Amino acid sequence: MKKIKEIAIYGKGGIGKSTTTSNISAALSDAGYNVMQIGCDPKSDSTNTLTGGKSIPTVLESLRKGRGAVKVEDVIFDGFNGIHCIEAGGPEPGVGCAGRGIITAVEFLKQENVFEEYAPDIVLYDVLGDVVCGGFAMPIREGVADQVYTVSSADFMAIYAANNLFKGIKKYSVGGGALFSGIIANSITFSAQKDILNDFAQETESTIAGFVPRSLSVTQAELSGKTTIEANPDSEQAKVYKKLANDIYENKNEYVPSPLESEKLKKWAESWSDKLIELKKQEKGEFSI
Amino acid sequence: MAKNEKDSEDYIVELDKTTCPTREQRANGTNVYFGKASELLEDAKKGNLKCTERGFQQSGGCILNFYLSVRVSTIRDAAIIFNGPVGCSHAALSYKELYGHIPESLGKPTNYNLNWLTTNLGEDDVVFGAKEKLIEAIKEAEKRYNPKAIFILTTCVTGIIGEDIESAVNEIQPEINATIVPVHCEGVRSKIMQTGYDAFWHGVLKYLVKKPKKKQKDLVNIASMLSYAWQDRLEIQRLLGKLDLRVNFIPEFASVEDFEQLAEAAVTAPICPTYTDYLSRGLHQYFDVPFFMYPSPIGIINTDEWLREIAKYTGKEKEVEILIAEEHKKWVPKMKEIRNKFKDIEIERGGKKLDVLGSLGQGRLVTQLPFFDELGVKSTSAMAQDFDNILINELEDVIDKVGDFNVMVNTFQAAEQLHITEQTKPDMALTCPFQGGAWKREGTVSRLHSLRGDPRKWSTQAGYAGAIAYGNFLLQALQNESLQRLSKEHTGVSVKKWYLNQPDPLYFAEKGK
Repeated sequence: MKKIKEIAIYGKGGIGKSTTTSNISAALSDAGYNVMQIGCDPKSDSTNTLTGGKSIPTVLESLRKGRGAVKVEDVIFDGFNGIHCIEAGGPEPGVGCAGRGIITAVEFLKQENVFEEYAPDIVLYDVLGDVVCGGFAMPIREGVADQVYTVSSADFMAIYAANNLFKGIKKYSVGGGALFSGIIANSITFSAQKDILNDFAQETESTIAGFVPRSLSVTQAELSGKTTIEANPDSEQAKVYKKLANDIYENKNEYVPSPLESEKLKKWAESWSDKLIELKKQEKGEFSI
Repeated sequence: MAKNEKDSEDYIVELDKTTCPTREQRANGTNVYFGKASELLEDAKKGNLKCTERGFQQSGGCILNFYLSVRVSTIRDAAIIFNGPVGCSHAALSYKELYGHIPESLGKPTNYNLNWLTTNLGEDDVVFGAKEKLIEAIKEAEKRYNPKAIFILTTCVTGIIGEDIESAVNEIQPEINATIVPVHCEGVRSKIMQTGYDAFWHGVLKYLVKKPKKKQKDLVNIASMLSYAWQDRLEIQRLLGKLDLRVNFIPEFASVEDFEQLAEAAVTAPICPTYTDYLSRGLHQYFDVPFFMYPSPIGIINTDEWLREIAKYTGKEKEVEILIAEEHKKWVPKMKEIRNKFKDIEIERGGKKLDVLGSLGQGRLVTQLPFFDELGVKSTSAMAQDFDNILINELEDVIDKVGDFNVMVNTFQAAEQLHITEQTKPDMALTCPFQGGAWKREGTVSRLHSLRGDPRKWSTQAGYAGAIAYGNFLLQALQNESLQRLSKEHTGVSVKKWYLNQPDPLYFAEKGK
């Protein structure tokens, strides 16, 4: 069997994880690869822009209706350009245990030998937010994803979540878990935001996989239930995603990042606060991109 | 008598909350300790006690299954729902083992059934939540058993996934005739089993106890008969009956009505102070039912005092003195006889006072040692399953009375118990049927208490009859050591010698963690 590239994409809620992941999937599929995307978020909307804005039945919902009777075909749906779309699913907000849900869903897919059957070149796990509990760490444990990326803006809370993810990776790396491969810098408008993320990468001995500028065309495509790749394939933004997708596919750089201790992270953030005040004074200069 | 003021330290029962605080929180409870009783007392006073993990743990249990489930499952005209995976409910069946041999001719209720359900939670329930299953189980309990109360025992699983039990109860209660009583005994909450009992009392106080319609001046609440035998129950009924008082025994074999009338009683009296504590305080805070914590009716002297305390709250001061005098006529000569026999054995063995290693619960620790003193034996070492601040005064009192002694706190760790037995070489080691690690030794071993269900008179421990029966029981154990001798000859010791050579029996406790 050929080696399947399995990557997990983490990031703070609302940071553009699903948008970015779906565009990467679409770009890779467009380039001729067999792609599978697995949403690991109880909201179950990771693959919406690959399926024309529609929600698909989730693994957990199907299992609930009757274990044993569930076949993999029941939970795998063809999306844009034949991308295999899966949603793990999960409980309604406020009840049950979403983390356990991720474990159950991923275990089911592994047990059913989904990857052997569908033989994707690449599998992308789109995982909710911080690594809040064992369940959401499932994709980075031994035997699941090989590489981890995080989507982060230059906002402190997003960086904070990325730093937490680094802690999780460091912990699991000892037992053969997934390694880190880069930060996907999202929603970039100002050059200073690039500087902040570059500096964070340097501090944590990590790397930037690519910069994705903030763009209205992404929002517009999303509102029409499509990825940018599908809606505006020739746009500048589509080019950005295509390059990012290719870089990620070719990326062999895997390592354990060095998360900052909370006190150090706080100091680092404060140093940037001071710099930004300085930069604001020089507005209109090199400030905007 | 504890104060009944909102700002006081003793005001611990807050029924607007879902459940009780843990014993760790409210009383610095510990499950591991070894040292002098005076050191334990000092550490408790300073607030230094805390639970400790072990590098090697032999057995354990949780606050649900350290007998809470057995106790609740004996409640008559009630149903019990274990809200968790099916395994959490297994201990409910132990009631059969514990009480199966008690004949109904001795007063065991005839209309008793174990009405036992479980929500049998599985993977989907964990992921999606299980409110509907609980509601379904409540409806099923009502339909099948038509009970007066439905107890919901929570488990680790519902605790971890954050099931909102109260909202389910509030939603369904209007449709259900039985009173629904949620009990928050999630195993992960606490390492001290008393927390489970407190959680149970919290539910009882919050949902089941009714506002008193009238005061019943002859009614005495007594909680906990489980760790005593059926004959203890009869002895207590006999003594209070002579004072024209009625006993309201809870929770074992109580009816739901017995719970409802708790607030109408004249007083709440202890058998095991640590077990009764939360209920007593709650009844006092909310319904002005007086209570006392000490002593328990173990030994002649403590039984006298226990009866006098009850008499104080029931207006029986005169009658109680007559009763005590009457009882003394019958029992004190027998006690003297037992003392003399112990003395004879003492002389036979070289003139040193007989040393009994007591394996006791926290409550027994403070009641049994004075009793040993009455028998004319001493206890240089004692074991307790846990210890917390609640019994500080009582422990101080015991040290004053009988002098200092070694204390080992551990919950069912056989090797540690064997260690202390081997190190201290007592004339007799007492052990609990579920706890014992000291059976194979030279010298005598006896049981601390019967397997609860033993309804024979020799198993009595409470009251005057109990003081004599248990004294004789210990004497009898000293007469014949062949069981211990033979079992030591024919079987090996279950731990390695190097462990027994360690100076500290708590070698495996991860102190400072």
